[in-house]
Amino acid sequence: MASRPARKKSKKSQAGAPYVAWERLAPDSLVVTNDPGNHVFVPAKELPALLAGGKKTASEELLAKGFVRDRLDFDGLCESWRTRNAYLAAGPGLHILVLTLRCNHGCSYCQSGAGGADAKGTDMPASTARQCVDFAFQSPNPSITIEFQGGEPLLNWDALKEAVSYARRRAAASGRKLRLALVSNFALMTEEKAAFLLENEVSICTSLDGPAALHNANRAYSGGDSHGLTVKWLRYFQAKHDSQKGGVPVFKPGALLTVTKRSLPRYKEIIDEYARLGLEEIFLRPLAPLGYARTKWDEIGYDAAQFTAFYRKSLDYILSLNRKGVPLREKMAVMLLEKIVNARDPGFLDSRCPCGAAIGQLAYNFDGDIYTCDEGRMAAWAGDPIFRVGNVRTSKYRDIVTSDAAKACAAASNLETQPYCHRCAYRPFCGVCPVYNYEVQGSLAGNMPSNDRCALFKGIFGTLFSYLKTPGKGKELAKWVENEKK
Amino acid sequence: MKRNKARPAGLFFSSSVYSEEAVRLAAFVFSSREEVKTSKEAGGVRAVLPAGTPELEGAFANEVLNQQCRLDLAKKNSKVANIIVTRALLSAMGERG
Repeated sequence: MASRPARKKSKKSQAGAPYVAWERLAPDSLVVTNDPGNHVFVPAKELPALLAGGKKTASEELLAKGFVRDRLDFDGLCESWRTRNAYLAAGPGLHILVLTLRCNHGCSYCQSGAGGADAKGTDMPASTARQCVDFAFQSPNPSITIEFQGGEPLLNWDALKEAVSYARRRAAASGRKLRLALVSNFALMTEEKAAFLLENEVSICTSLDGPAALHNANRAYSGGDSHGLTVKWLRYFQAKHDSQKGGVPVFKPGALLTVTKRSLPRYKEIIDEYARLGLEEIFLRPLAPLGYARTKWDEIGYDAAQFTAFYRKSLDYILSLNRKGVPLREKMAVMLLEKIVNARDPGFLDSRCPCGAAIGQLAYNFDGDIYTCDEGRMAAWAGDPIFRVGNVRTSKYRDIVTSDAAKACAAASNLETQPYCHRCAYRPFCGVCPVYNYEVQGSLAGNMPSNDRCALFKGIFGTLFSYLKTPGKGKELAKWVENEKK
Repeated sequence: MKRNKARPAGLFFSSSVYSEEAVRLAAFVFSSREEVKTSKEAGGVRAVLPAGTPELEGAFANEVLNQQCRLDLAKKNSKVANIIVTRALLSAMGERG
């Protein structure tokens, strides 16, 4: 819901609230937001007074946050908007290199379009990997992140090693800030490979779907116990992190959870497993019906209401563990709270306006083809190359970021022209995904009132705002982003 | 939007609410699901979905409404929307917006 007062320049039109939107959190309680991304909680019965303005409603909080039309601190509000949307001036920072489509796992939900471990012609040559790195360094973003993915990237170790070494040399020569990240299932990890990765300051992330039975059911590995290998190497990298004494910094390893239908009733076991392994973050990442996952949606998928219920119960459980001294945070909440509480850009490409497609990230397939994003690459895997923007061998950087697909994604994900989003209270913190819209609803812009991704994000935002409003939980959640604020 | 009783599969979109562009855009969005035939008639646009079940027709009518709202909003917000997109694209190219 939203209001836009008349633009007539009468004395009357200067009263009341500036453009605001609101959402009902409970029958008698609303969260009201404005364009700069500030929010206030208002009893439903006080909304008319807020919209009408006047001294009665002009509390210090409303004044400070820009909810009183004739008392706006434009400079402060603009600065707040600019900080939260800093990505608009940055360019693509995330560069995803798909080193191979081969994989030694057969995950029930695989969204990456992976083939078998013996598949032919799906490895990225080392020369192409170097060209991808060169391409990434053409981005004007002062901070470049190169993420190595697959398939299973360790199946193409030579290209990975070459890309890491070459990227480090390029960063040293250019003075650019470089972050390297590897997403691996660890099945082929060795001490020698681990030593190389640590020497080159590569951050490590793996997949962990919960306790052994659930993880192995989701992530079938013909070579044996996927969960056992994951835990073994997680502990190895944690020990390296904990015992580091200066020199090249060793990052704490991270883990990614993919939530399937099987996960929903087992949230406690999953969270307990993360806590047991000393992981300090869990990312309750919803599954999207893209690529292979779309073909098995009936078996593994769920709707927004089911995910929201899971998310809410999971947050409750994590907060209860926090009260017992377990330092665990939920990553989706952390990124969204960075926007809501700290008014800063957390670099969350899935939830921004416009979305990160091409202007925030690029995905490089094994053959050098470039896509607006990894989701766009998955669409191509499923048969539609609409999000392909070029190839590292033949395309120029400027042509990529101004390609038709890049412009169409930026325009379609602009919430200023999304009818439903435009009136949504969560708009300052949210974003739409043109690939999801295209795959599920047939157009880049989508149709939000019947869009399940929209419903899912509304469920997450509703949970976060209703918890922020609750005195105890609100403080506990805000603590999750206290360090980021510093 | 009115259902034509003589032609049950036909939907009539009045020009007092819907533009021809919105109906055509919706038909394009639907092209992977069903070939929607559109034709101009006095006072509006008719859309015919050959295998139009009530669910499909309802979904199509929703899509036409969505497209019309998008067109209306784009007219209203095109200035700020263009500034944001242009800024993002110029920054990605390495030029100051």
